[in-house]
Amino acid sequence: MKRNDFILLAAIVVIALAAFGAVSLYSAVSTREPEAVVYLNGEEQGRYPLSEDTAVEIRQGNSYNILQIRDGKADITEASCPDKICVNHRAVSKQGESLICLPNKMAVEIENSEEAGIDASTR
Amino acid sequence: MAKKTAYLGMLTALAFVFSYIEYLLPINLGVPGVKLGLANLVIIVALYTINMRWAFTLSAVRILLAGLTFGNPASMIYSLAGGMLSLAIMILAKKSKLFSVTGVSILGGVFHNIGQIGVAVLVVETAGLLYYLPVLILSGTIAGVLIGILSSILIRNLIKAIKIEDIDL
Amino acid sequence: MKKLCQAGILAVVVFALAGFACIQYGNHGPVRYEGQFYDCFDTVTTITGYAKNQEEFSEKMDLLHKKLVYYHQLYDIYHTYDGRNNIKTVNDAAGTDSVKVDEEILNLLKLGKEMYGRTKGKLNIAYGSVLSLWHEYREDGLREPQKAKLPPEEELERRARHTDIEDVILDEEWSTVRLADAEMSLDAGGIGKGYAVQKLAMYAKEIGMDHVLISVGGNVCAVGGKADGRPWTVAVENPNFDDEVPYIATVDLVDGCLVTSGDYQRYYEVDNVRYCHIIDPDSSMPPKYFSSVSVQAADSGIADALSTALFNMDYESGLSLVEEMEDVEAMWIGKDGEIRYSSGFRVNEEE
Repeated sequence: MKRNDFILLAAIVVIALAAFGAVSLYSAVSTREPEAVVYLNGEEQGRYPLSEDTAVEIRQGNSYNILQIRDGKADITEASCPDKICVNHRAVSKQGESLICLPNKMAVEIENSEEAGIDASTR
Repeated sequence: MAKKTAYLGMLTALAFVFSYIEYLLPINLGVPGVKLGLANLVIIVALYTINMRWAFTLSAVRILLAGLTFGNPASMIYSLAGGMLSLAIMILAKKSKLFSVTGVSILGGVFHNIGQIGVAVLVVETAGLLYYLPVLILSGTIAGVLIGILSSILIRNLIKAIKIEDIDL
Repeated sequence: MKKLCQAGILAVVVFALAGFACIQYGNHGPVRYEGQFYDCFDTVTTITGYAKNQEEFSEKMDLLHKKLVYYHQLYDIYHTYDGRNNIKTVNDAAGTDSVKVDEEILNLLKLGKEMYGRTKGKLNIAYGSVLSLWHEYREDGLREPQKAKLPPEEELERRARHTDIEDVILDEEWSTVRLADAEMSLDAGGIGKGYAVQKLAMYAKEIGMDHVLISVGGNVCAVGGKADGRPWTVAVENPNFDDEVPYIATVDLVDGCLVTSGDYQRYYEVDNVRYCHIIDPDSSMPPKYFSSVSVQAADSGIADALSTALFNMDYESGLSLVEEMEDVEAMWIGKDGEIRYSSGFRVNEEE
């Protein structure tokens, strides 16, 4: 092996380490704080961090749902749907939990939060 | 002419067999694309004992044969991207006269993996695959060192054993 | 000597890096994905499974979606679909002709008849005429809560006379169904979803998914366990929403189903009294025994039928029914929050 081969090796190792650092940094940046993600007809409408208390009206034509975020939990407090299943549902805060309003085709899902350790629920 | 045919035939067969061995004994580190690249040994030998045109032909024939016998169209595209990029870089590295056979082999190993992952990113449309890049660069380097050392021994002995003028065009 | 030293250092560095890289990247098995659709059985379907990448998972989801839509259309009692006879077609032809139907309608109705026998009529697929009346009054009541009314007793009694399961006549040879009573109708509500989920689970296996959790509106069915070998964890929701605790219990599932029937999801209120969507065939009224009943069984169709039937009977009758069936367990949550289990119902200890 020539001296240049060793320089090459060193350079590649440095590049690999740099790439590794970049990838790690990227995944660190992309893990985010817990948030409630709102979907209408399966399409993402907005993201609201659970750390900030807020109330949002999710409107679509004449139908609406009011999403309230308080004390780190997301809850539907009011809705135009007839069955009110979404309003009756308790507030959610754990990874994978959701609030769903079928008549309005609206769903709120919790992302980036701690796992509830549950894969599905039945009611 | 007969010698040349025999020599090329032997290299083709070897490259093919090496591909098959790697297909039978995959290295499973949990990262797709990690492999030793035994077939590259033959390509490097061809590059140093014959010329770049024949190395190129040999590489293409090997990929085609391997793809048709125990691969699939998808694996062939990956091999082709990796193999061709790797060979192009090795030819440039050899011409630059900066590196020994091992250096050239290292570059070949690294760029083989870069070529494959490049195509994978395009095909799967997931930039997330770049996550594997650092490991693939390292694994390509290690494979390159090993193959490089083997190649230089082979080349040294082959050049002694046969008259290159006999087979070079 | 110097060269040897260089090579040695090089080797150490390279192998250390390689080892480090392997540890970092070693455990990349198939990735867990989740998908949802909203257009089947008036509820939300959630499918959790594993795939190499999003694309592969989406392909499988499309196949599963098509399959579920097929069952949804087949068992739909509100809409008809071009080129396909479904349960509504059968209902529309009540009292007149036989209707040529898909094999899967016959299979469902056969299971329905079998479960009618086992539950002594507490699950009745021929109960559509009464259920549709309640459905109308519930929809109206939800639209205008101040004007919510109960269906008139005489009308309920009159309709209840047209619910004889013997009037559902199946001809397997010709693959037809005939309703002998012109005023009767089928309602697969208490069983169709569960049956479809069972078939969907089997289909998932067929298309190479060995670890899937399917939930169609809380009708949960597991194919295998999780990819890492652990069982799926399924929770039974606390019917009391005023309570802080979201779940009553969690159950481990490997190749099995858990279905709950409850009074706290679909209901309406008349004079501050809650009337749920499940109706007891013996009284034509919503039963008052429990807040919810969960059934664990190997087959989702049976679990679905039983959870409805158990919701309609007192604890003692329900318990003896469950104990005489193999591989079936149940959990009852009373209106007062009291929880009772059948002998083999296994819940996870609180962590």
